[in-house]
Amino acid sequence: MLLTPNAMSRRMRFGLYFTTGVIALFLLLPIVFIVLLSFGSSQWLVFPPPGWTFKWYGQFFSNPDWMSAALTSLKVAVLTTVCAVALGLPTAFALVRGRFPGREMLYGLFTLPMIVPLVIIAVAVYALFLKLGYTGTMFAFVVSHVIVALPFTIISIINSLKLFDQSIEDAAVICGASRLQAVFKVTFPAIRPGMVAGALFAFLVSWDEVVLSVMMASPTLQTLPVKMWTTLRQDLTPVIAVASTLLIGLSVLVMVIAAALRRRNEISA
Amino acid sequence: MSASATQHTGGAAGAAGVATVPAIAPQAPSRLQRWRGAGNLLPALLFLGLFFLAPLIGLLLRGVLEPVPGLGNYEQLFANSAYARVLFNTFSVAGLVTLFSLLLGFPLAWAITLVPRGWGRWMLNIVLLSMWTSLLARTYSWLVLLQASGVVNKALMALGIIDQPLEMVHNLTGVVIGMSYIMIPFIVLPLQATMQAIDPMILQAGSICGASPWTNFFRVFLPLCRPGLFSGGLMVFVMSLGYYVTPALLGGAQNMMLPEFIIQQVQSFLNWGLASAGAALLVAITLVLFYFYLKLQPESPVGASNAR
Repeated sequence: MLLTPNAMSRRMRFGLYFTTGVIALFLLLPIVFIVLLSFGSSQWLVFPPPGWTFKWYGQFFSNPDWMSAALTSLKVAVLTTVCAVALGLPTAFALVRGRFPGREMLYGLFTLPMIVPLVIIAVAVYALFLKLGYTGTMFAFVVSHVIVALPFTIISIINSLKLFDQSIEDAAVICGASRLQAVFKVTFPAIRPGMVAGALFAFLVSWDEVVLSVMMASPTLQTLPVKMWTTLRQDLTPVIAVASTLLIGLSVLVMVIAAALRRRNEISA
Repeated sequence: MSASATQHTGGAAGAAGVATVPAIAPQAPSRLQRWRGAGNLLPALLFLGLFFLAPLIGLLLRGVLEPVPGLGNYEQLFANSAYARVLFNTFSVAGLVTLFSLLLGFPLAWAITLVPRGWGRWMLNIVLLSMWTSLLARTYSWLVLLQASGVVNKALMALGIIDQPLEMVHNLTGVVIGMSYIMIPFIVLPLQATMQAIDPMILQAGSICGASPWTNFFRVFLPLCRPGLFSGGLMVFVMSLGYYVTPALLGGAQNMMLPEFIIQQVQSFLNWGLASAGAALLVAITLVLFYFYLKLQPESPVGASNAR
C-alpha cells in the first residue's frame, strides 16, 4: 500500500507529493537562477533583477580572454573525445571477446580512474608533467582529460558490444569479407549507439572538468572552467553567469542529442 | 561466443569443416588463441600505465621518501592538531552530506516510483539534468544564492523567519548545502531502481496482516529499500571524501577538507611529501570503502535472482 498511491491515505500522499515538489524545485533552482541572472542588469547580481540586458553577453564575447578560454575548452573536449573513443574501442573489443585470464582485473583497472579521487589524479599527473615541462600545453589538458573520460567510453561501448551477436560478423566473413571489413561495415554500425554515447560522455566530462584543468593550466592557456575558477576567486561578476549559462547550454544540448538518439534506436530496434 | 567455441575445438576436426572458408582464425595452438585479441588492449594499457598508474605510484612513494625516507609525513599528519582537524573535517562533512542527501533523495525516489510513468520519467530527467549540468556553474549559483544579500537570505527575511542575514557561505553550512545538492542524483538513481523492484503485494500483505502504515513503513518498506540506501549512501560518502571544487568555493579556511589540503600543500607550500602522505591516505580510504561497496552489490534481496 506504500507503493500503490490509491491505497495511501490522502494526507500521506499529499505530504509525499509536496515534499517531492519542493525537492525537485531545489534541484532546478540553481540552474534556472543562474541562467536568469546572466540576463539581469544588476552588477551585484540582485534578484529579481531590476531590468533585463544582453550587456554581460556582449562583455563575454568581446573579451579575448574569455573567448580564447572557450575556444580552448572546445578544442580540448573534441580532442579528448576522439582519443577516448580511439583508445576505448579496441579495449572494449578485447574485454568483451577475449578469453584470456584476468579480464575482470583488467576491467577493474580501466575503471579505476572513475574511483580514485580526481584531486589525486590531478596532483599525480601534474607532478609528472612538471618534471617533463608539459604543464600549460594542449597535450597536458588532453592527456589528463582522456584518463578520466576513458572509463565512460569503455563502459558504453562494452554495453552495446555485449548486445551484438558476433555470428553476424562471422557471417560477413564467411560471405567473403575480410575480418577488418566485417568489423568496419557490420559491427561498427551495429554498436554505434554505444560509441556515440561513449563519445558524448567523454565530451561532457572534458567540457566540464575543473580540477585537472586548474592544475594543468598556465596563464596563457586555460579552459573555460579554469577561467571561471580564477575569476570567481576575485569577484562574482555576472560575466561568470554568462559562462555558466554557456556550459549549462552545451550540456543540455548534448543530453537532448543523447535522448533523441536513444529514442531513434528504440524505434528502429 | 559461438565463434570462439568452434575455435577452441579447433585442431584437425575443425579444419575439415572450415577448410574452404578463407581467413577464419588460423589454426594456432590453443594457448595462443586464448590470448588472441588481447593485443587490442595494448594502446589503452600503455596509455594508462604511462600517464595514470606510473604517476600515481610515484606520488604515493613520495610520501615515504620526501623529504627524508621514513614515515615522518604520516606522523605529522596525525600528530599535528591542525592536520588532524583536516581529517576530522573530511569525515564529518562527508557524513553530514551523506545524511542530508539520503533524507532529500528518499522522498524523491519514492515519488518517482509512485507516480504514473510519464511523470516519473520527467522527474528522472530533472535528476539527470542536474547531474550532468556543470558542477562549477551550480556551485557558483549557490555562492550567489547564499551570500548575505542573496535570494535565500532575502526570502527568509521577507518571511520574518530571521531579521538579520545568516552567514551561509564560507562556512560549514555552505559546504553541506552545496554538496548535498550535488549528491542527490547519486542517491536517487540507485534507490529508485531498488524501489522499482519491490513487489507492492508485500506491502499489501503487511497491511492485511494488521500493520499500521507506520509499522509497514519502518518494518517492511524501509528494510526492503536497504540495499539501495546502503549502496547510494556509501557511494556518496566515498565521493564526498574526494570532492575539491565545492568545498573550496563554498567553505571557509577553518573547514578545509583533505583534497583541498593536498592541493594547498602542493601549490602553496611545495611540500610534496606531506601532500603525498595525505593522498595515500585518501586513496586507501576510498579503495577500502569501494571494496565494501562492491561486496554489498550482489546481496540485494530484491535483485534479479529474487524477482518474479
